[in-house]
This record gives sequence, structure tokens and C-alpha cells, in this order.
Amino acid sequence: LKRVQLFATCLGDLAFPDAVADAATLLRDAGFEVEVPGRQICCGQPAFNAGHRAAARRVARTFARAFSRETPIVTPSGSCATMASHYLPELLGVAPFDVWELSAFLEREGVRPARLNEGLQVSYHDSCHMLRELHIRDAPRRLLEASGATVCELPRPDLCCGFGGTFSVRQPEISLAMADDKLAGTAPVLVTSDPGCLMHLRGRAETLARSRRDTPAVVHLATALARGIRA
Amino acid sequence: VSKLERPPGSFREVARGALANERMQDVLDVATANLRQVRLGAWEKLDDVEALREQGREARTRAIKNLPGYLDEFQRNVEARGGHVHRCATDTEACDKIIDICRAVDAKLVAKSKSMASEEIGLNGALEAEGVTVVETDLGEYILQLAGEHPVHIVAPAIEKTAEDVAQLLESVDGEPVERELRALTAKARRQLREVFLTADVGVTGANFAIAETGSICIVTNEGNGRLVSSLPRVHVVILGMERLVANTQDLAVCLKLLARSATAQPLTVYTTVLTGPRRAGEEDGPEQLHVIVLDNGRSSLLGTRYEEMLNCIRCGACLNVCPIYRKAGGAAYGPVYSGPMGAVLVPLLATAPDLPHASSLCGACTQACPVKIPLHELLLELRRDLVDDRVAPWWERAAFTLWSIAWSNQLGYRATTTLARLGQPLGPLFARRWSRGRTLPRLQRRYRDR
Repeated sequence: LKRVQLFATCLGDLAFPDAVADAATLLRDAGFEVEVPGRQICCGQPAFNAGHRAAARRVARTFARAFSRETPIVTPSGSCATMASHYLPELLGVAPFDVWELSAFLEREGVRPARLNEGLQVSYHDSCHMLRELHIRDAPRRLLEASGATVCELPRPDLCCGFGGTFSVRQPEISLAMADDKLAGTAPVLVTSDPGCLMHLRGRAETLARSRRDTPAVVHLATALARGIRA
Repeated sequence: VSKLERPPGSFREVARGALANERMQDVLDVATANLRQVRLGAWEKLDDVEALREQGREARTRAIKNLPGYLDEFQRNVEARGGHVHRCATDTEACDKIIDICRAVDAKLVAKSKSMASEEIGLNGALEAEGVTVVETDLGEYILQLAGEHPVHIVAPAIEKTAEDVAQLLESVDGEPVERELRALTAKARRQLREVFLTADVGVTGANFAIAETGSICIVTNEGNGRLVSSLPRVHVVILGMERLVANTQDLAVCLKLLARSATAQPLTVYTTVLTGPRRAGEEDGPEQLHVIVLDNGRSSLLGTRYEEMLNCIRCGACLNVCPIYRKAGGAAYGPVYSGPMGAVLVPLLATAPDLPHASSLCGACTQACPVKIPLHELLLELRRDLVDDRVAPWWERAAFTLWSIAWSNQLGYRATTTLARLGQPLGPLFARRWSRGRTLPRLQRRYRDR
């Protein structure tokens, strides 16, 4: 049996445990033994991107202690995959890890998702780090198409959703306006591979839903592929 | 105090105004989307974009790595052609020098073509305080001068103005009505400006590039005003940001190819002017005197630092047009001179502007668009680190991150804090108002790893 280590990420562990469970399901269904290292906490990204390097290092060490370099590490988060693969080794001065964002890993392994989303129209929102640092653009879209969904491109797929870690609370007005643009141009379901974007866009959509009908549902890619979007 | 100085909180405050202005939001959206789209089209026509970007990066790096040497070479060549070079360390020094030059020829009227460096030193105000009339002749800058405003985009300074705004401003000059149509508006501005070109005593221009090998100045415009301003008045003053140097004409060619395509999606701008020295004996046109103001204003302090690469910037504005923050905040939020990602990096390097390193979601679109491959979003991250290391970031922010990182450096702390957070969730909106005004907080659940 092939093994992978699952990095839940802090947001996944605390706020989106179902999406992490869905990622684990997808990996198991694809024939992997999924290990969830018990000492994992967070990759340190929140502090790293805010410029607090000492704090980032302290937290990033938990990642370096928890994960082995022998087995691929898979995570349902574009930005945490970027942090762990691109920035963390340099920050700590350690050897790189074999980190994979979920959709890129599934595609590399030739996984065909179940056709749970037959006939559904969805849009896909790119996580900026996943798109521009990891250059993963097509994998999540192809997986969604393979699950039966039709992917309707957003009017400006290049634009950030406005989360940006502490940016979302330093510049809340701009951050919200950016989310509104995303939500205005999407199909009824907006899928994303990043818990940060998910927290921001879903949080905004839920607030808008109080005063508006037709607000889109915001769903993690792992959930869309493991349980189908209606689940 | 430098014109670039920005007090804390100012970015958010000005941006709020822009967000509340629906018309401005539409203008920003359409204008930046168009500029981005045409640029992508122009890139596609090139055989090998990446190779050209790499050549551009090399040309700029060559100039910056040897800047003192190239400046000396440039100065020798300008002087050999009968021009004057004045090296100015600060904005005040540069303004004073230009005032001296104007006084020496008893100038009453100065015609200017577009120059961000002149905005940086606050030249118009300085000259007007001396009783000299200054008229901007770049159409966008002229519009802003009439409106009493500052540029909001380094390439398209009046990008936030509509045809209606422009018509009203031009009508305020001569009281005659004008059709709200582009051709009519330009014709009117042209008539108003023609007189200025013909009667100005001194012409002031910026410089897109300066060539060390020949002592030449290169100016690109689409309106031809740069040529009129640099050839009709008796005196031509060039304000040259000291980092605008290129080694030779080959490097200039690469930079021009990148600049026009990145800025306005043109293979070359309509007018690309290379000027070498003042009028020589036997020549009919050109100024009697040529003065080049080499402006430092903090630039040399970046040499040899990890921010040195920012001096490679060719001021094309491509990063502004792709930036999702600029698109919402508008140019004025960044201050009166430089805006968008390049401004967010450059301004804090030249003056105090603690908001700007955080005026970004670090999405990286700017870095991807930069024709000379400046890692803009990584430089913003570096600047954020400086804010923390230099204790400019508020104590409570530093304390919060330190405490958080100590708690999350072990399982016990992680479990304790997250259990507390889960139990305290109903109070969440009180503690996270900046988040929860307009967004729901995520529901913290039983940890995935405890399932």
C-alpha cells in the first residue's frame, strides 16, 4: 500500500474538518494509506506573511518536527502547500519536504473522481499562491470536469478574492469589495482549494445571504469531489 | 517633509472614499481591465516574452550594479556636448537648482511634460511660490493641474477622470463649451496648450532613460509634447531620477521594447525622442541651454541592499493595472506620486509610509506582470519584516504574534487555545469586529484530528 501524510492545516483542523476528512477519503479511495501525523499544528504562514519571522519560525518548527521526508505530504490548501514547500525550508534552514497540494497530487496519481456532480455548473476560484507560486491552474478544473461538473470561468480569474491573511482585517473594506466581485461573477457554486479563500468567501456569502437570495454556495474542492456538491 | 511621506491609517481612509464612489469604482475597473487586456495582447505577439523579460532584467541590473560609474560617464558625455549636469541629493536641493536656472534667464512661464520625478520633488509648487507660472502639457497632467489634483496612475495620470469631467475642466479655461467627445476634447486642449509651447521660457521634462555611453536623454510620449517642450523654449531642464541610466543604446532598445508594450501595449510609443546636448552651432532647433538634474532623493541608499532591485523599475505601470488592490483603492490612497504595487514598495523605501507594505494581499500578480521581473510582492514581504524588526509595527501586534507562536509551538498550547476559542465562539464577533463586520466567522468544530 502506498502511503501519504495528510497535513490538515490549522484552518482545516479547526474550521473545516469536513473538508479535511473529504481529502482523506479521496486519498484512501485512490488506494493510499493516509497517515495523519499527530504532532502537526500549522506551517506558520499567518505570521510569515505578516512579516513576523521569529513567530513564524517558532510555529513552522512544529511542521518540521511532525512530518517525515520519506513519504509525500498532501494538503487540501494551496497556500499552505506553498508555504511548506517554498518558504518553510528556507525560513528554518532545513531540507525541503515532498509537499503536494491535493488536486495536483490526485492528478499526478491519475485519480478519476466519481461522477457526483453530473450536470452542475460551478466556477473555480484560484488560490493566488497555488496559481502563481505552484503554477497549479488546470488540475482542480480538470478534476471538477471529471466529476461531471461544467466549469464556468470567472470573469476575472486572475483577481485575488481579498483574503490575504492579515490583509483581510487591515483593509476590511477593500477585502470585502474584492469578495463581492468574486461572488457577483460566479456560477451558483464557487469551488476553491484554499481554506483561507473558503473562510473569507463563504463568510461573505453567508452575510450577503441574509439580505439576498441567489447568493452562491462556496465549497472546498475536496468536498465537491468526495461527496458531491449537493451533499 | 518629503512629498512622499504618508501618515499611518491614510491608505485605508482614502481607499474608503474611493470604495464609496461608485462611478470611480467603475472607471477603475474598466480602465485597468482594458490596459491589462491590451498588454496581454501585445505580449502574445512577441516570439519569446520570457527571453525579452530576462534581457530587460539584465540591462537594468547592469546599470544599477555600476550606477556610480555610469553616472560619471553620462555626466562626462553631457558636458562634452555643452550640457550641464547638477547632482541633487534631496527634493529641496533639486527644486532650488531649477529655481536658480529659471531666475538666471528671468523665466516667467515654464512648460512641463510629464515627469513623475517632478511630482516627487513638488516642483510646481516650488516654482509657483517664486512667481513662475508652470503649465503641464501632457494631456492627463494638464487635466489634473486644472483640477488641482495629483496623478493617480504613473502612466495614465488622469485615469479616474471621465470625458464629462475633462470637458468641464477644459471649459473652465476659456469659457467655451465643448462636445463630450474625445476628438473634440483633445482639439480643445491642443489649442489651449499651443500658446504655452510657443511662449514658455523654460521647458521641463522628465527622462524615461539616460544613456551613459552617449550622454543622451530618452523621452517617450504619445502626444509629442515632450518634443515641443524640449526644443522650443530657450532652456531645457531634465529631471532625471538617478536610476534611469542605461549603459548603451543596445540596452535602451531592450528597455524601450518592454516599456511601451507594458505601459500602453504599443510596439513603440508614438514619439520616442533621444536628445543629445543643447543646440549646436549651425543647428536651427533646440534649446540654448541643457540642464540635467540628477535626482537622488534616497535612491542611492538602496544600492547594495536587498531592495536594490527596485531601482530596476522602468515605470511602465503594468503592476498597477493587474493589482486587485489598486483596482479598488484607487491611486490617491498610495499618496500623491507613486501608486500601485511599485508605489507600495518604492515609497516606503524613500520616505516614511508604514501602511503601504500592507496595502497588498501578496497575490503576486504584480511580480508576474513586471517586464523586468522585479519580485514586487516579495519586496513587500521584506518591508513588512522591517516594520516588525524596527518596531514600527504596533507593540500589541508584535505581542499577539509572539504569544500566538508560543502557544502554537506545542500540542498542549494549541489544544488549550483552540478549545478556549471554540468555547468562546459566541463572543467571537466582539473580538473580531474587523472581520465580522460584513463576514460571518467560521464555526469552530471538533478538531479533525480528534475525530
